[in-house]
Amino acid sequence: MEENKQHSPTEPTKLTVPWYGFVSLIFAILFFSGIFNNVSGGLKALDFSALLGKFGSVQGTNGAATIFTGQAGLGARDGFLFALSLAPSVMLALGVVEVVTNLQGLKAAQKLLTPILRPLLGIPGITGLALISSLQSTDAGAGMTKSLREENQMTDKERLIFCQFQFSAGGTITNYLATGSALFASLTVPIILPLIVLFAFKIFGANLMRLYLKRFSEEEVK
Amino acid sequence: MNKSLIDIFVEGAKKGLHINLNSIIPNLVMAFVFIEILKITGLLAFLGKVFAPIMAIFGLPGEGITVLLSAWLAMGGGVGACASLFNEGILTKEHVTILIPAIFLMGAQVQYMGRLLGTAGIPSRHYPILLGICILNAALSMLVMRFLA
Repeated sequence: MEENKQHSPTEPTKLTVPWYGFVSLIFAILFFSGIFNNVSGGLKALDFSALLGKFGSVQGTNGAATIFTGQAGLGARDGFLFALSLAPSVMLALGVVEVVTNLQGLKAAQKLLTPILRPLLGIPGITGLALISSLQSTDAGAGMTKSLREENQMTDKERLIFCQFQFSAGGTITNYLATGSALFASLTVPIILPLIVLFAFKIFGANLMRLYLKRFSEEEVK
Repeated sequence: MNKSLIDIFVEGAKKGLHINLNSIIPNLVMAFVFIEILKITGLLAFLGKVFAPIMAIFGLPGEGITVLLSAWLAMGGGVGACASLFNEGILTKEHVTILIPAIFLMGAQVQYMGRLLGTAGIPSRHYPILLGICILNAALSMLVMRFLA
């Protein structure tokens, strides 16, 4: 029993992150930021779009160049080919996320986040791991939130605030980089900018909930 | 470290391919067909007219409402509807840029009520306020993006 308790995933332990954790976190931010897209030389190898490259062009109906999905497609067939053309983007993005996760880049984010969760969102620092996990998988975040509440690591009010944070743009990073990639070529801004807006509004929404809950006692929200 | 970074990258790329095959392709086919049905039946033009005044607040054409409604059911649906309307020339790059955060901020709420709120044990009487804040988030994000796009 004692053993079990010590290894509980939500037990407050001192989190140690190696230096390369922070380096890989910074790398991930720069990689998806598009900062290196316009530089010439070797640094361009650190840019997502540069590594993604492009499909070769084929001749369209009126002689104009187009990619293999062609021009003026419609319906299910057009949707399928378009979706298929996204595979390289999703694979590159998730491949890099996997490497960054393995190098403990997300642990580094958790370490930086833990002390500021109370002022930023009004939830205890121990939710750091669940919060980071929820950015990768909605279901992982949900499961960890449930066990944190069961272990009495947070109150019902805090759970509501935390769930509000997770509920808006759930699975943020995975969903944005995978599903959202369908729209990356049609953006007028660097791909990281909408992601920053997403985070800003996740935090804003959670704080609206925090404000709303001020009127109620713990008993009333049970 | 037991695995090399190359193996780990390949592992992540496999996950990406899995998401592409099992989630993105089916969702986008669904969304493209959905938009096609709306177009053939004339409903798209109708929705475009009805919602034009509301969507104009966000700098979007009325048809943009279909992106938000599809997103509410599934993020892939919202993204697909957006891509389809862009391919049709109904949405411009600026419109897509305005819409992209909103698609996620109010995305997949129908599924997440069960998968997130249900799993985490939130009493269902709190759902309306939780949903309301997400939709408010989406609306405000479109106003913000209007100036950034």
